[in-house]
Amino acid sequence: MNDADPRYGGEVRRRMASLAGAAPAHAATGPGVITGRAGDREQGAEVVLLLRLAQGRVAEARYRAFGCPHLLAAASWLTERLVGCVRADLERWDWREAAGAVEVPPAKFGRLLTLQDAVRDAAGNWPGDAASTV
Amino acid sequence: MTEFVYLDNAATTAVDPRVVEAMLECLGPGGDYANPSAVGHDPGRRARARVEQARAEVAAAVGADPSQVIFTSGATEADNLALLGAARFYRERGRHIVTSRTEHPAVLDACRQLEREGFEVTYLKPGTDGIVEPAQIEAALRADTLLVSLMHVNNEIGVVQDVGAVGRLCRARGVLFHVDAAQGAGKLPLDVERDCIDLLALTAHTVHGPKGGGALGGRREPRLGRARRRGGGGQERGLRSGTLATHQVAGMGAAYRIAAACMAEEGARIAALRDRLWRGLAVIPGVTLNGHPTRRAPGILSVTVDGVEGESLLYCLSRLAVASGSACATTSGEPSYVLRALGRSDRLAQSTLRLSLGRFSTVADVDTAVQEITAAVARLRAVAPERRP
Repeated sequence: MNDADPRYGGEVRRRMASLAGAAPAHAATGPGVITGRAGDREQGAEVVLLLRLAQGRVAEARYRAFGCPHLLAAASWLTERLVGCVRADLERWDWREAAGAVEVPPAKFGRLLTLQDAVRDAAGNWPGDAASTV
Repeated sequence: MTEFVYLDNAATTAVDPRVVEAMLECLGPGGDYANPSAVGHDPGRRARARVEQARAEVAAAVGADPSQVIFTSGATEADNLALLGAARFYRERGRHIVTSRTEHPAVLDACRQLEREGFEVTYLKPGTDGIVEPAQIEAALRADTLLVSLMHVNNEIGVVQDVGAVGRLCRARGVLFHVDAAQGAGKLPLDVERDCIDLLALTAHTVHGPKGGGALGGRREPRLGRARRRGGGGQERGLRSGTLATHQVAGMGAAYRIAAACMAEEGARIAALRDRLWRGLAVIPGVTLNGHPTRRAPGILSVTVDGVEGESLLYCLSRLAVASGSACATTSGEPSYVLRALGRSDRLAQSTLRLSLGRFSTVADVDTAVQEITAAVARLRAVAPERRP
Protein backbone atom coordinates (compact mmCIF):
# COMPACT_ATOMS: atom_id res chain seq x y z
CA MET A 1 0.00 0.00 0.00
CA ASN A 2 0.88 3.62 -0.31
CA ASP A 3 3.18 4.18 2.65
CA ALA A 4 5.16 7.03 1.11
CA ASP A 5 2.37 9.29 -0.12
CA PRO A 6 2.05 12.25 2.29
CA ARG A 7 -1.55 12.87 1.26
CA TYR A 8 -2.63 9.92 3.35
CA GLY A 9 -2.22 9.60 7.09
CA GLY A 10 -1.54 6.46 9.08
CA GLU A 11 -5.19 5.71 9.73
CA VAL A 12 -6.02 5.84 6.04
CA ARG A 13 -3.09 3.58 5.22
CA ARG A 14 -4.00 1.10 7.93
CA ARG A 15 -7.64 0.90 6.92
CA MET A 16 -6.96 0.81 3.19
CA ALA A 17 -4.67 -2.13 3.85
CA SER A 18 -7.37 -4.09 5.63
CA LEU A 19 -10.67 -2.56 4.44
CA ALA A 20 -11.94 -3.69 7.84
CA GLY A 21 -15.70 -3.59 8.22
CA ALA A 22 -16.49 -4.03 4.55
CA ALA A 23 -19.64 -6.01 3.97
CA PRO A 24 -19.34 -9.07 1.77
CA ALA A 25 -20.97 -8.94 -1.62
CA HIS A 26 -24.71 -9.45 -1.40
CA ALA A 27 -24.57 -8.99 2.34
CA ALA A 28 -27.73 -10.14 3.95
CA THR A 29 -30.37 -7.69 4.95
CA GLY A 30 -33.48 -8.71 6.77
CA PRO A 31 -34.93 -8.77 10.23
CA GLY A 32 -32.76 -6.85 12.61
CA VAL A 33 -30.64 -5.26 9.89
CA ILE A 34 -31.19 -1.70 8.72
CA THR A 35 -29.49 0.11 5.89
CA GLY A 36 -28.43 3.68 5.36
CA ARG A 37 -27.60 4.82 1.86
CA ALA A 38 -26.31 8.11 0.50
CA GLY A 39 -24.40 9.58 -2.39
CA ASP A 40 -24.09 8.79 -6.04
CA ARG A 41 -21.09 7.21 -7.69
CA GLU A 42 -21.54 9.55 -10.63
CA GLN A 43 -20.64 12.29 -8.16
CA GLY A 44 -17.68 10.30 -6.88
CA ALA A 45 -18.97 9.13 -3.50
CA GLU A 46 -21.54 6.52 -2.50
CA VAL A 47 -21.94 4.79 0.86
CA VAL A 48 -24.19 2.00 2.10
CA LEU A 49 -24.24 1.13 5.80
CA LEU A 50 -25.61 -2.17 7.05
CA LEU A 51 -26.39 -2.07 10.78
CA ARG A 52 -27.50 -5.12 12.75
CA LEU A 53 -29.53 -4.09 15.73
CA ALA A 54 -29.94 -5.91 19.03
CA GLN A 55 -31.66 -4.67 22.13
CA GLY A 56 -32.16 -1.21 20.70
CA ARG A 57 -28.53 -0.66 19.84
CA VAL A 58 -26.20 -1.22 16.92
CA ALA A 59 -24.65 -4.61 17.51
CA GLU A 60 -22.63 -4.77 14.31
CA ALA A 61 -21.92 -2.38 11.45
CA ARG A 62 -20.67 -3.01 7.93
CA TYR A 63 -20.16 -0.74 4.96
CA ARG A 64 -19.92 -0.73 1.23
CA ALA A 65 -18.47 2.36 -0.39
CA PHE A 66 -17.35 3.87 -3.67
CA GLY A 67 -15.00 6.78 -3.25
CA CYS A 68 -11.54 8.05 -2.48
CA PRO A 69 -9.23 6.42 0.11
CA HIS A 70 -10.26 8.95 2.75
CA LEU A 71 -13.92 8.04 2.34
CA LEU A 72 -13.26 4.30 2.39
CA ALA A 73 -11.11 4.67 5.50
CA ALA A 74 -13.72 6.84 7.20
CA ALA A 75 -16.44 4.31 6.39
CA SER A 76 -14.27 1.56 7.83
CA TRP A 77 -13.64 3.61 10.97
CA LEU A 78 -17.37 4.35 11.29
CA THR A 79 -18.28 0.67 11.42
CA GLU A 80 -16.41 0.47 14.71
CA ARG A 81 -17.63 3.83 15.97
CA LEU A 82 -21.31 3.00 15.51
CA VAL A 83 -21.31 -0.21 17.55
CA GLY A 84 -23.33 0.39 20.69
CA CYS A 85 -25.07 3.47 19.35
CA VAL A 86 -28.76 4.03 19.80
CA ARG A 87 -30.94 5.74 17.25
CA ALA A 88 -30.44 9.20 18.72
CA ASP A 89 -26.68 8.80 18.41
CA LEU A 90 -27.12 8.24 14.71
CA GLU A 91 -29.41 11.20 14.36
CA ARG A 92 -26.84 13.57 15.78
CA TRP A 93 -23.64 12.00 14.49
CA ASP A 94 -21.47 14.60 12.80
CA TRP A 95 -18.98 14.02 9.96
CA ARG A 96 -16.32 16.11 11.73
CA GLU A 97 -15.69 13.24 14.11
CA ALA A 98 -14.56 11.06 11.19
CA ALA A 99 -12.56 13.92 9.70
CA GLY A 100 -10.48 14.10 12.85
CA ALA A 101 -10.15 10.36 13.35
CA VAL A 102 -9.00 9.64 9.81
CA GLU A 103 -7.11 12.92 9.22
CA VAL A 104 -9.18 13.96 6.25
CA PRO A 105 -7.94 17.12 4.51
CA PRO A 106 -10.40 20.02 4.12
CA ALA A 107 -10.67 19.47 0.38
CA LYS A 108 -12.27 16.11 1.12
CA PHE A 109 -14.77 17.22 3.77
CA GLY A 110 -17.59 17.11 1.24
CA ARG A 111 -17.08 13.38 0.84
CA LEU A 112 -17.69 12.90 4.55
CA LEU A 113 -21.07 14.57 4.28
CA THR A 114 -22.04 11.53 2.24
CA LEU A 115 -21.10 9.40 5.22
CA GLN A 116 -23.18 11.57 7.53
CA ASP A 117 -26.13 11.37 5.16
CA ALA A 118 -25.88 7.58 5.18
CA VAL A 119 -25.89 7.52 8.98
CA ARG A 120 -28.95 9.78 9.06
CA ASP A 121 -30.65 7.60 6.46
CA ALA A 122 -30.03 4.58 8.67
CA ALA A 123 -31.52 6.43 11.62
CA GLY A 124 -34.59 7.09 9.51
CA ASN A 125 -34.88 3.37 8.83
CA TRP A 126 -34.62 2.43 12.50
CA PRO A 127 -37.64 0.24 13.31
CA GLY A 128 -40.34 1.17 15.74
CA ASP A 129 -41.46 4.50 17.04
CA ALA A 130 -40.20 7.45 15.01
CA ALA A 131 -39.40 9.31 18.19
CA SER A 132 -35.92 9.11 19.64
CA THR A 133 -35.33 6.46 22.25
CA VAL A 134 -33.11 8.79 24.25
CA MET B 1 12.76 1.68 -0.95
CA THR B 2 9.77 0.16 -2.71
CA GLU B 3 10.54 -1.44 -6.05
CA PHE B 4 8.55 0.38 -8.72
CA VAL B 5 7.39 -0.66 -12.12
CA TYR B 6 7.76 2.52 -14.14
CA LEU B 7 5.01 2.91 -16.71
CA ASP B 8 4.90 6.68 -17.00
CA ASN B 9 7.22 7.20 -19.95
CA ALA B 10 4.89 9.72 -21.56
CA ALA B 11 5.52 11.97 -18.55
CA THR B 12 9.26 11.51 -18.79
CA THR B 13 11.83 8.82 -19.43
CA ALA B 14 15.00 7.59 -17.82
CA VAL B 15 18.03 9.08 -19.52
CA ASP B 16 19.78 6.53 -21.70
CA PRO B 17 23.29 5.76 -20.35
CA ARG B 18 24.74 6.61 -23.77
CA VAL B 19 23.12 10.03 -23.47
CA VAL B 20 24.49 10.45 -19.97
CA GLU B 21 27.95 9.70 -21.34
CA ALA B 22 27.58 12.37 -24.03
CA MET B 23 26.44 14.89 -21.43
CA LEU B 24 29.27 14.11 -19.04
CA GLU B 25 31.76 14.83 -21.80
CA CYS B 26 30.57 18.43 -21.68
CA LEU B 27 30.68 18.99 -17.94
CA GLY B 28 33.83 18.19 -16.03
CA PRO B 29 37.39 19.47 -16.16
CA GLY B 30 38.88 18.29 -19.41
CA GLY B 31 35.44 18.17 -20.97
CA ASP B 32 33.85 20.51 -23.48
CA TYR B 33 32.45 22.78 -20.81
CA ALA B 34 33.42 26.11 -22.32
CA ASN B 35 30.87 28.65 -23.45
CA PRO B 36 29.86 27.63 -26.99
CA SER B 37 29.59 31.29 -27.95
CA ALA B 38 33.24 31.90 -26.98
CA VAL B 39 34.58 30.82 -30.34
CA GLY B 40 37.73 32.93 -29.93
CA HIS B 41 39.47 30.03 -28.20
CA ASP B 42 39.73 26.33 -28.79
CA PRO B 43 37.68 25.10 -25.81
CA GLY B 44 34.86 27.40 -26.91
CA ARG B 45 35.10 26.14 -30.47
CA ARG B 46 34.97 22.54 -29.24
CA ALA B 47 31.83 23.32 -27.26
CA ARG B 48 30.37 25.05 -30.32
CA ALA B 49 31.12 21.94 -32.37
CA ARG B 50 29.23 19.86 -29.80
CA VAL B 51 26.23 22.16 -30.14
CA GLU B 52 26.28 22.08 -33.92
CA GLN B 53 26.67 18.31 -33.95
CA ALA B 54 23.62 18.04 -31.74
CA ARG B 55 21.73 20.47 -33.95
CA ALA B 56 22.49 18.27 -36.94
CA GLU B 57 21.43 15.11 -35.05
CA VAL B 58 18.11 16.60 -34.00
CA ALA B 59 17.49 18.01 -37.48
CA ALA B 60 18.27 14.67 -39.12
CA ALA B 61 15.75 12.87 -36.93
CA VAL B 62 12.91 15.02 -38.28
CA GLY B 63 14.14 15.75 -41.80
CA ALA B 64 14.96 19.38 -41.09
CA ASP B 65 17.85 21.54 -42.11
CA PRO B 66 20.13 22.12 -39.09
CA SER B 67 19.96 25.87 -39.66
CA GLN B 68 16.26 25.68 -38.84
CA VAL B 69 16.70 24.16 -35.38
CA ILE B 70 16.64 26.47 -32.37
CA PHE B 71 17.39 24.97 -28.98
CA THR B 72 14.96 25.75 -26.15
CA SER B 73 14.29 24.51 -22.65
CA GLY B 74 11.69 22.04 -23.89
CA ALA B 75 8.60 21.63 -26.04
CA THR B 76 6.57 24.05 -23.94
CA GLU B 77 8.95 26.90 -24.70
CA ALA B 78 9.17 25.81 -28.33
CA ASP B 79 5.36 25.80 -28.63
CA ASN B 80 5.18 29.29 -27.16
CA LEU B 81 8.01 30.57 -29.33
CA ALA B 82 6.35 29.15 -32.43
CA LEU B 83 2.78 30.22 -31.84
CA LEU B 84 3.34 33.62 -30.25
CA GLY B 85 6.29 34.47 -32.47
CA ALA B 86 4.68 33.52 -35.78
CA ALA B 87 1.25 34.92 -34.98
CA ARG B 88 2.58 38.24 -33.78
CA PHE B 89 4.96 38.62 -36.67
CA TYR B 90 2.38 37.78 -39.33
CA ARG B 91 -0.62 39.37 -37.66
CA GLU B 92 -1.31 41.55 -40.68
CA ARG B 93 -1.76 38.42 -42.83
CA GLY B 94 -4.62 37.14 -40.75
CA ARG B 95 -5.82 36.75 -37.21
CA HIS B 96 -7.50 33.38 -37.29
CA ILE B 97 -5.93 30.26 -35.80
CA VAL B 98 -7.19 26.66 -35.90
CA THR B 99 -6.30 24.08 -33.28
CA SER B 100 -7.98 21.25 -31.37
CA ARG B 101 -9.44 20.94 -27.90
CA THR B 102 -7.07 18.13 -27.02
CA GLU B 103 -3.81 19.99 -27.50
CA HIS B 104 -1.23 20.26 -24.75
CA PRO B 105 -1.71 23.19 -22.35
CA ALA B 106 1.43 24.76 -23.83
CA VAL B 107 -0.50 25.26 -27.08
CA LEU B 108 -3.89 26.05 -25.55
CA ASP B 109 -2.45 28.67 -23.20
CA ALA B 110 -0.57 30.32 -26.07
CA CYS B 111 -3.80 30.39 -28.07
CA ARG B 112 -5.65 32.00 -25.18
CA GLN B 113 -2.94 34.64 -24.97
CA LEU B 114 -3.35 35.33 -28.67
CA GLU B 115 -7.11 35.65 -28.18
CA ARG B 116 -6.40 38.37 -25.62
CA GLU B 117 -4.31 40.07 -28.29
CA GLY B 118 -7.18 40.11 -30.79
CA PHE B 119 -6.77 36.78 -32.57
CA GLU B 120 -9.69 34.44 -33.09
CA VAL B 121 -9.10 30.75 -32.38
CA THR B 122 -11.23 27.83 -33.59
CA TYR B 123 -10.93 24.86 -31.22
CA LEU B 124 -11.91 21.71 -33.12
CA LYS B 125 -13.57 18.86 -31.28
CA PRO B 126 -12.03 15.49 -32.13
CA GLY B 127 -14.13 12.41 -32.72
CA THR B 128 -14.77 10.01 -29.87
CA ASP B 129 -11.64 8.21 -31.03
CA GLY B 130 -9.52 11.32 -30.46
CA ILE B 131 -8.82 11.88 -34.15
CA VAL B 132 -9.10 15.31 -35.74
CA GLU B 133 -9.85 14.59 -39.39
CA PRO B 134 -8.15 16.70 -42.07
CA ALA B 135 -11.62 17.45 -43.41
CA GLN B 136 -12.43 19.18 -40.12
CA ILE B 137 -9.35 21.34 -40.54
CA GLU B 138 -10.24 22.12 -44.13
CA ALA B 139 -13.75 23.13 -43.15
CA ALA B 140 -12.40 25.44 -40.46
CA LEU B 141 -9.95 27.30 -42.71
CA ARG B 142 -10.92 30.84 -43.65
CA ALA B 143 -9.44 33.51 -45.84
CA ASP B 144 -7.86 35.08 -42.78
CA THR B 145 -6.55 31.85 -41.25
CA LEU B 146 -2.92 32.40 -40.37
CA LEU B 147 -1.92 29.23 -38.62
CA VAL B 148 -3.01 25.67 -37.79
CA SER B 149 -1.62 23.89 -34.71
CA LEU B 150 -2.12 20.15 -34.26
CA MET B 151 -0.19 17.75 -32.06
CA HIS B 152 1.39 14.66 -33.61
CA VAL B 153 0.69 12.20 -30.79
CA ASN B 154 -1.69 13.01 -27.97
CA ASN B 155 0.10 12.86 -24.64
CA GLU B 156 -2.86 11.38 -22.75
CA ILE B 157 -4.39 8.84 -25.08
CA GLY B 158 -1.62 8.24 -27.60
CA VAL B 159 -3.62 8.68 -30.81
CA VAL B 160 -1.64 9.75 -33.88
CA GLN B 161 -2.94 12.58 -36.01
CA ASP B 162 -2.40 12.60 -39.76
CA VAL B 163 -0.08 15.58 -39.70
CA GLY B 164 1.10 14.89 -43.26
CA ALA B 165 -2.38 15.31 -44.70
CA VAL B 166 -3.00 18.43 -42.62
CA GLY B 167 0.40 19.84 -43.56
CA ARG B 168 -0.22 19.41 -47.27
CA LEU B 169 -3.62 21.01 -46.86
CA CYS B 170 -2.15 23.99 -45.06
CA ARG B 171 0.65 24.37 -47.58
CA ALA B 172 -1.87 24.42 -50.43
CA ARG B 173 -3.80 27.15 -48.67
CA GLY B 174 -0.80 29.22 -47.65
CA VAL B 175 -1.42 28.63 -43.94
CA LEU B 176 1.40 28.10 -41.45
CA PHE B 177 1.39 24.67 -39.80
CA HIS B 178 2.70 24.06 -36.29
CA VAL B 179 3.05 20.59 -34.78
CA ASP B 180 3.73 19.74 -31.15
CA ALA B 181 5.75 16.55 -31.56
CA ALA B 182 6.76 16.10 -27.93
CA GLN B 183 5.33 12.57 -27.87
CA GLY B 184 5.87 11.51 -31.45
CA ALA B 185 9.28 12.68 -32.62
CA GLY B 186 11.93 10.01 -32.29
CA LYS B 187 9.27 7.32 -32.00
CA LEU B 188 7.36 7.59 -35.25
CA PRO B 189 8.55 8.71 -38.67
CA LEU B 190 8.24 12.47 -38.99
CA ASP B 191 9.68 14.60 -41.76
CA VAL B 192 9.11 18.32 -41.86
CA GLU B 193 9.69 18.43 -45.63
CA ARG B 194 7.42 15.54 -46.52
CA ASP B 195 4.79 16.53 -43.97
CA CYS B 196 4.91 20.26 -44.83
CA ILE B 197 5.50 21.30 -41.22
CA ASP B 198 6.56 24.91 -40.78
CA LEU B 199 7.08 24.85 -37.02
CA LEU B 200 7.87 21.72 -35.01
CA ALA B 201 8.16 21.60 -31.21
CA LEU B 202 10.47 18.93 -29.80
CA THR B 203 11.63 17.81 -26.40
CA ALA B 204 14.45 15.59 -25.23
CA HIS B 205 13.09 14.03 -22.07
CA THR B 206 10.44 11.85 -23.72
CA VAL B 207 13.07 10.10 -25.86
CA HIS B 208 15.44 9.18 -23.04
CA GLY B 209 17.22 12.51 -23.16
CA PRO B 210 17.58 15.09 -20.40
CA LYS B 211 14.82 17.27 -18.99
CA GLY B 212 15.42 20.91 -19.82
CA GLY B 213 16.28 20.28 -23.45
CA GLY B 214 14.03 21.08 -26.37
CA ALA B 215 14.02 22.57 -29.81
CA LEU B 216 11.93 24.39 -32.34
CA GLY B 217 12.45 23.13 -35.84
CA GLY B 218 10.79 23.56 -39.16
CA ARG B 219 10.87 23.18 -42.89
CA ARG B 220 11.64 26.79 -43.51
CA GLU B 221 11.88 29.92 -41.52
CA PRO B 222 8.68 31.81 -41.17
CA ARG B 223 10.43 34.75 -39.60
CA LEU B 224 9.37 34.49 -36.04
CA GLY B 225 8.46 37.65 -34.18
CA ARG B 226 11.69 39.39 -33.37
CA ALA B 227 10.38 41.29 -30.42
CA ARG B 228 13.09 40.49 -27.92
CA ARG B 229 11.16 38.44 -25.46
CA ARG B 230 14.37 37.72 -23.62
CA GLY B 231 17.12 40.28 -24.09
CA GLY B 232 20.74 39.26 -23.95
CA GLY B 233 23.51 37.97 -26.11
CA GLY B 234 21.41 37.12 -29.14
CA GLN B 235 22.08 33.39 -29.12
CA GLU B 236 20.02 31.05 -31.30
CA ARG B 237 19.60 33.61 -34.05
CA GLY B 238 18.40 36.21 -31.61
CA LEU B 239 15.32 34.21 -30.70
CA ARG B 240 16.59 32.86 -27.44
CA SER B 241 19.32 34.76 -25.71
CA GLY B 242 21.31 33.06 -22.99
CA THR B 243 24.34 30.81 -22.78
CA LEU B 244 23.50 27.47 -24.32
CA ALA B 245 23.62 24.53 -21.93
CA THR B 246 26.07 22.48 -23.95
CA HIS B 247 25.54 19.30 -21.95
CA GLN B 248 21.74 19.51 -22.36
CA VAL B 249 22.05 20.20 -26.05
CA ALA B 250 24.56 17.39 -26.53
CA GLY B 251 22.27 15.07 -24.59
CA MET B 252 19.33 15.97 -26.77
CA GLY B 253 21.37 15.36 -29.89
CA ALA B 254 22.49 11.95 -28.66
CA ALA B 255 18.94 11.05 -27.61
CA TYR B 256 17.56 11.83 -31.07
CA ARG B 257 20.44 10.12 -32.85
CA ILE B 258 19.85 6.93 -30.86
CA ALA B 259 16.07 7.16 -31.24
CA ALA B 260 16.29 7.61 -34.99
CA ALA B 261 18.71 4.71 -35.35
CA CYS B 262 16.52 2.22 -33.48
CA MET B 263 13.07 3.63 -34.23
CA ALA B 264 11.66 0.76 -36.26
CA GLU B 265 12.98 -2.04 -34.07
CA GLU B 266 12.23 -0.30 -30.80
CA GLY B 267 8.82 0.84 -31.95
CA ALA B 268 7.85 -2.71 -32.82
CA ARG B 269 9.08 -4.05 -29.49
CA ILE B 270 7.26 -1.38 -27.48
CA ALA B 271 4.07 -1.76 -29.52
CA ALA B 272 4.15 -5.50 -28.77
CA LEU B 273 4.46 -4.73 -25.05
CA ARG B 274 1.57 -2.26 -25.29
CA ASP B 275 -0.58 -4.87 -27.04
CA ARG B 276 0.31 -7.46 -24.39
CA LEU B 277 -0.69 -4.95 -21.72
CA TRP B 278 -3.99 -4.24 -23.42
CA ARG B 279 -4.75 -7.94 -23.87
CA GLY B 280 -4.18 -8.43 -20.16
CA LEU B 281 -6.38 -5.54 -19.11
CA ALA B 282 -9.13 -6.00 -21.68
CA VAL B 283 -10.38 -9.15 -19.94
CA ILE B 284 -11.28 -7.14 -16.83
CA PRO B 285 -15.00 -6.38 -17.09
CA GLY B 286 -15.69 -2.68 -17.52
CA VAL B 287 -12.27 -1.77 -18.93
CA THR B 288 -12.33 0.22 -22.15
CA LEU B 289 -9.63 1.64 -24.39
CA ASN B 290 -9.49 5.38 -24.94
CA GLY B 291 -8.71 6.61 -28.41
CA HIS B 292 -8.50 5.10 -31.85
CA PRO B 293 -7.81 1.35 -31.74
CA THR B 294 -5.07 1.32 -34.38
CA ARG B 295 -3.85 4.87 -35.01
CA ARG B 296 -1.77 4.82 -31.87
CA ALA B 297 1.76 5.58 -30.76
CA PRO B 298 3.64 2.45 -29.69
CA GLY B 299 4.09 3.35 -26.06
CA ILE B 300 0.87 4.90 -24.75
CA LEU B 301 -2.19 3.02 -23.51
CA SER B 302 -5.11 4.84 -21.91
CA VAL B 303 -7.80 2.74 -20.28
CA THR B 304 -10.91 3.63 -18.33
CA VAL B 305 -11.94 1.30 -15.53
CA ASP B 306 -15.63 1.55 -14.82
CA GLY B 307 -16.84 0.71 -11.33
CA VAL B 308 -13.84 1.91 -9.36
CA GLU B 309 -12.97 5.36 -8.11
CA GLY B 310 -9.86 6.75 -9.73
CA GLU B 311 -7.98 8.00 -6.68
CA SER B 312 -8.54 4.78 -4.78
CA LEU B 313 -7.40 2.80 -7.80
CA LEU B 314 -4.18 4.79 -8.01
CA TYR B 315 -3.73 4.38 -4.26
CA CYS B 316 -3.92 0.62 -4.58
CA LEU B 317 -1.40 0.67 -7.43
CA SER B 318 1.35 2.05 -5.28
CA ARG B 319 3.95 -0.28 -6.82
CA LEU B 320 3.17 1.07 -10.26
CA ALA B 321 4.28 4.48 -11.49
CA VAL B 322 1.34 5.27 -13.76
CA ALA B 323 -0.66 8.41 -14.47
CA SER B 324 -4.34 9.10 -14.09
CA GLY B 325 -4.06 11.50 -17.01
CA SER B 326 -1.59 13.99 -18.34
CA ALA B 327 1.21 14.55 -15.88
CA CYS B 328 0.88 18.21 -16.77
CA ALA B 329 -2.70 18.28 -15.50
CA THR B 330 -2.90 15.84 -12.62
CA THR B 331 -1.87 18.39 -10.01
CA SER B 332 -5.12 20.25 -10.64
CA GLY B 333 -7.29 17.33 -9.52
CA GLU B 334 -9.69 18.18 -12.33
CA PRO B 335 -10.90 15.48 -14.70
CA SER B 336 -8.89 15.36 -17.90
CA TYR B 337 -10.13 17.85 -20.51
CA VAL B 338 -8.86 15.50 -23.21
CA LEU B 339 -11.08 12.65 -22.03
CA ARG B 340 -13.98 15.04 -21.60
CA ALA B 341 -13.49 16.17 -25.20
CA LEU B 342 -13.82 12.53 -26.23
CA GLY B 343 -17.18 12.37 -24.46
CA ARG B 344 -16.14 10.66 -21.25
CA SER B 345 -18.06 11.69 -18.13
CA ASP B 346 -16.16 13.29 -15.27
CA ARG B 347 -16.40 10.08 -13.26
CA LEU B 348 -15.07 7.91 -16.03
CA ALA B 349 -12.33 10.43 -16.78
CA GLN B 350 -11.25 10.14 -13.15
CA SER B 351 -11.25 6.36 -13.39
CA THR B 352 -8.74 6.40 -16.22
CA LEU B 353 -5.16 5.19 -16.21
CA ARG B 354 -2.47 6.15 -18.66
CA LEU B 355 0.22 3.48 -18.91
CA SER B 356 3.17 4.44 -21.04
CA LEU B 357 6.09 2.25 -22.04
CA GLY B 358 9.61 3.11 -23.00
CA ARG B 359 13.00 1.75 -24.00
CA PHE B 360 13.59 0.10 -20.65
CA SER B 361 10.13 -1.44 -20.21
CA THR B 362 10.01 -5.22 -20.07
CA VAL B 363 7.56 -8.08 -20.39
CA ALA B 364 7.87 -8.56 -16.63
CA ASP B 365 6.83 -4.92 -16.10
CA VAL B 366 3.77 -5.43 -18.24
CA ASP B 367 2.78 -8.67 -16.54
CA THR B 368 3.23 -7.13 -13.09
CA ALA B 369 1.06 -4.20 -14.11
CA VAL B 370 -1.70 -6.49 -15.34
CA GLN B 371 -1.61 -8.47 -12.10
CA GLU B 372 -1.61 -5.39 -9.88
CA ILE B 373 -4.40 -3.63 -11.75
CA THR B 374 -6.53 -6.76 -11.90
CA ALA B 375 -6.16 -7.28 -8.15
CA ALA B 376 -6.80 -3.64 -7.27
CA VAL B 377 -9.94 -3.45 -9.38
CA ALA B 378 -11.30 -6.65 -7.82
CA ARG B 379 -10.52 -5.38 -4.34
CA LEU B 380 -12.25 -2.03 -4.81
CA ARG B 381 -15.25 -3.49 -6.59
CA ALA B 382 -15.65 -5.95 -3.72
CA VAL B 383 -16.42 -3.11 -1.31
CA ALA B 384 -18.42 -0.92 -3.70
CA PRO B 385 -22.19 -0.74 -3.36
CA GLU B 386 -24.10 -2.71 -5.92
CA ARG B 387 -25.22 -0.54 -8.78
CA ARG B 388 -28.74 0.71 -8.45
CA PRO B 389 -31.06 -0.51 -11.18
